[in-house]
Amino acid sequence: MRYIMFLLFFLSLIEPLHADYRDLFQRQFIDKPWGGAPIVREGVCIDCHTSKIMKADYLKIPQEWKMSIHYKNKVSCHDCHGGDPDDAAVSCGTPHSGFVGTPKYKDVPELCGKCHVGILKNYLTSGHGKALKSRGEGPNCVTCHGAHNTQKASIEIINDVRCTKCHTYERARTMKQALFVVEKKITELENQLTDMKKSGAITEDIEKALFRTTAEFRTIFHTVDVNLVKAKTGEYSSKLSLIENDLKKIIEEYQFRRNFSAFLLVLFTIMGILVYINQKK
Amino acid sequence: MLSKIYNWIDCRIGLTELIRKEFREYYVPKDVSLWSTLGFVTLIAFLIQALTGIFLLTYYIPHPDHAFSSIQNIMNRIPYGWLFRSMHIVGANLLMIILFLHIVFVFYRAGYKKPRELNWLTGAIMFLIVLLFCVTGYLLPWTQLSYWSTTILTSIPTILPGIGEYISRFIKGGEFVTGVTLTRFFAFHVAFLPFILVVLILLHVFLIWRTGFSSLYDDPGICQKAELYMGRPQYKDGKPFYPDFFNKYMQMTFVYLIVMFFIITFKPGLFLTEYAYVKADPLSTPLLIRPPWYFLAPYSMIRMIPNKFLGISIQLILLLLFIIWPFVDIKEEKNIRKRPILLGLFTVAILVWVFLTIWGRF
Ligand code: HEC
Ligand code: HEC
Ligand code: HEC
Ligand code: HEC
Ligand code: HEC
Repeated sequence: MRYIMFLLFFLSLIEPLHADYRDLFQRQFIDKPWGGAPIVREGVCIDCHTSKIMKADYLKIPQEWKMSIHYKNKVSCHDCHGGDPDDAAVSCGTPHSGFVGTPKYKDVPELCGKCHVGILKNYLTSGHGKALKSRGEGPNCVTCHGAHNTQKASIEIINDVRCTKCHTYERARTMKQALFVVEKKITELENQLTDMKKSGAITEDIEKALFRTTAEFRTIFHTVDVNLVKAKTGEYSSKLSLIENDLKKIIEEYQFRRNFSAFLLVLFTIMGILVYINQKK
Repeated sequence: MLSKIYNWIDCRIGLTELIRKEFREYYVPKDVSLWSTLGFVTLIAFLIQALTGIFLLTYYIPHPDHAFSSIQNIMNRIPYGWLFRSMHIVGANLLMIILFLHIVFVFYRAGYKKPRELNWLTGAIMFLIVLLFCVTGYLLPWTQLSYWSTTILTSIPTILPGIGEYISRFIKGGEFVTGVTLTRFFAFHVAFLPFILVVLILLHVFLIWRTGFSSLYDDPGICQKAELYMGRPQYKDGKPFYPDFFNKYMQMTFVYLIVMFFIITFKPGLFLTEYAYVKADPLSTPLLIRPPWYFLAPYSMIRMIPNKFLGISIQLILLLLFIIWPFVDIKEEKNIRKRPILLGLFTVAILVWVFLTIWGRF
């Protein structure tokens, strides 16, 4: 009898603990995202916009979007156009679900500026922004970046096709030259960084710093003020040099590894040869 | 001083005598070659895996939130962690290569024939265990590569009707590859499998010790004339195991180390892809994920045969055949060159394997 009481006492202790643990286990291991929620749901926008009812020149939009940097960063149709991607009853033009539809040419900057805040600010103060707002003439974001097939930005966007629609290429060229020094360094650093990442180095901090600096610098372009860009070149060059130094340290570490492993290689080769020579004929 | 200690031990357990009797006075057959050392090299390769593995174990954290970053720490912050991990990765792949060669050679030399059936049987089971080591170890870094390869691999049993779904769930500990799968694989990789493998290795070595090296000059009538164990076959025209043949062991061990460090020096990423540096993300499926090279042949075979059930059945049958081969091929002739059909089948099997492996890369 005493034993049974004893056992019951223990069971009463264990049971709640056990239940708690189950709960915790469930939360920590099963319900987390890596608990294997099904692959990204793309929502009704894409379902319908890739279906047969879509007209031909709209059909290629989802394809273009799938190749864009926005797709890679999980920016989807409704992030720009509004609407509820989970509501199967939605069809385009139902205003109650916050649907924006196609923005007017003049309103595009605000649409993109929801996320690219700094750029919008600079853009609005620029000659381009002012011309757009006052006369509806300047280029908007889509003129230079496209709406759906948006790619990583670079100075290659500035070319004699795109920039000569409204004025001579002269202005564009001086701008491109002003950007060149810093942009070249950015590209170099980016390439080195991808190389190091491919060897498995932790580059997270450096990556973040580079991303921040690059983004800051590129907002300046959107003022389309050549003098401002020139004035800032020195500042950004030295910022990038700091990042470069951090990167160098990692590269040196990897060179050391290579040398160390080469040393072991030589060592074992010599030992192997000694053993070989030592064998009885 | 040292010799004093040695003598103290020796007069108690008779080391010198043991070495003399078992090694110096054991003559290996004269037709052994460098290939015959592969078994020993496999053992060395396993020991390297065990040692580097124990090192990794001290810093690795088997939890989905920390596994990837703990590996990153090993690679970048812990002194010489990179060395041990590189050795472990490269070593695992080299171990598979050596093991394949060992099996191919033993088969070619008919080393599985009477009285060595048990050697083959234990060896074949060890081969399966090593494959399980690979499968479980692959998931541990918790990268995109490991996550999605494991997802593919664990979905293969679902081809089996009825129980397939259950087996797959059982392996994963649920419907998807999760933290449960991780801890499960971890336990297998560092505790369960090593234990079994060590026991099997001891058994394998014991069997080799009792049966001796296989040779074409072996007496084919063994275990027939008498029901009694006749002792290891003796070859007085061969070379002493120690020091002559042992030297070959050492040579091959260094060749192994040289290859390993050649890869670590010049091509450290040889066995990894870009997805091996990205943390696992169940929400984004990488474009191209293939199983590691040693699984490519069975993998592309399953892909190639339209009826998946047929495909997996063929593989299971082949596997069974592989394990029980010594009991299937019971002819006494040991020289494979005198058996053109077997030699032909053997060559074709290897060619098919190579072809499927290469094909699987596309
Ligand atoms: C980065 C923001 C963004 C995303 C993401 C986006 N769009 Fe757009 N979309 C725009 C902008 C801006 C316009 C206006 C383009 C213009 O003026 O040419 C537009 C225009 C359109 C148009 C009208 C095109 C025309 O020629 O009138 C359609 C249809 C459309 N988008 C569908 C989609 C669908 C479907 C998706 C998801 C696959 C999507 N969009 C994702 C920004 C976006
Ligand atoms: C049931 C089908 C359907 C669904 C769901 C749907 N669309 Fe549409 N959408 C259409 C059709 C059809 C058009 C073309 C209308 C036309 O011909 O002018 C269109 C046009 C558009 C346009 C451009 C024309 C406009 O009227 O402004 C945009 C932008 C757009 N859809 C975005 C979206 C977004 C974002 C979603 C998800 C929230 C979505 N659509 C969901 C069928 C659908
Ligand atoms: C819902 C938020 C959102 C909206 C709206 C949006 N973007 Fe983006 N955009 C992002 C994110 C997130 C990234 C990826 C991070 C990055 O590289 O800055 C990105 C990246 C970009 C890039 C590449 C930046 C690089 O690193 O080179 C360009 C160019 C770009 N967006 C242009 C636009 C344009 C043009 C529009 C309007 C048509 C727009 N975006 C609207 C979120 C948004
Ligand atoms: C849609 C027409 C249009 C396109 C395309 C265009 N611009 Fe402009 N640009 C303007 C307008 C309008 C102004 C301001 C009025 C002016 O000074 O003529 C301007 C002014 C400028 C200025 C002088 C700004 C200042 O404040 O002095 C520069 C520099 C410039 N653009 C560069 C570019 C570059 C580079 C490109 C190509 C990527 C480009 N533009 C494409 C319309 C355009
Ligand atoms: C006249 C053409 C032009 C217009 C208009 C324009 N951009 Fe850009 N944008 C560029 C160029 C060129 C770059 C690359 C600048 C560089 O490399 O320094 C760039 C870079 C960017 C980047 C990349 C920044 C980074 O972090 O790499 C984003 C995001 C971006 N633009 C968004 C916008 C948005 C949003 C608008 C509208 C408000 C806009 N752009 C309008 C030409 C333009």
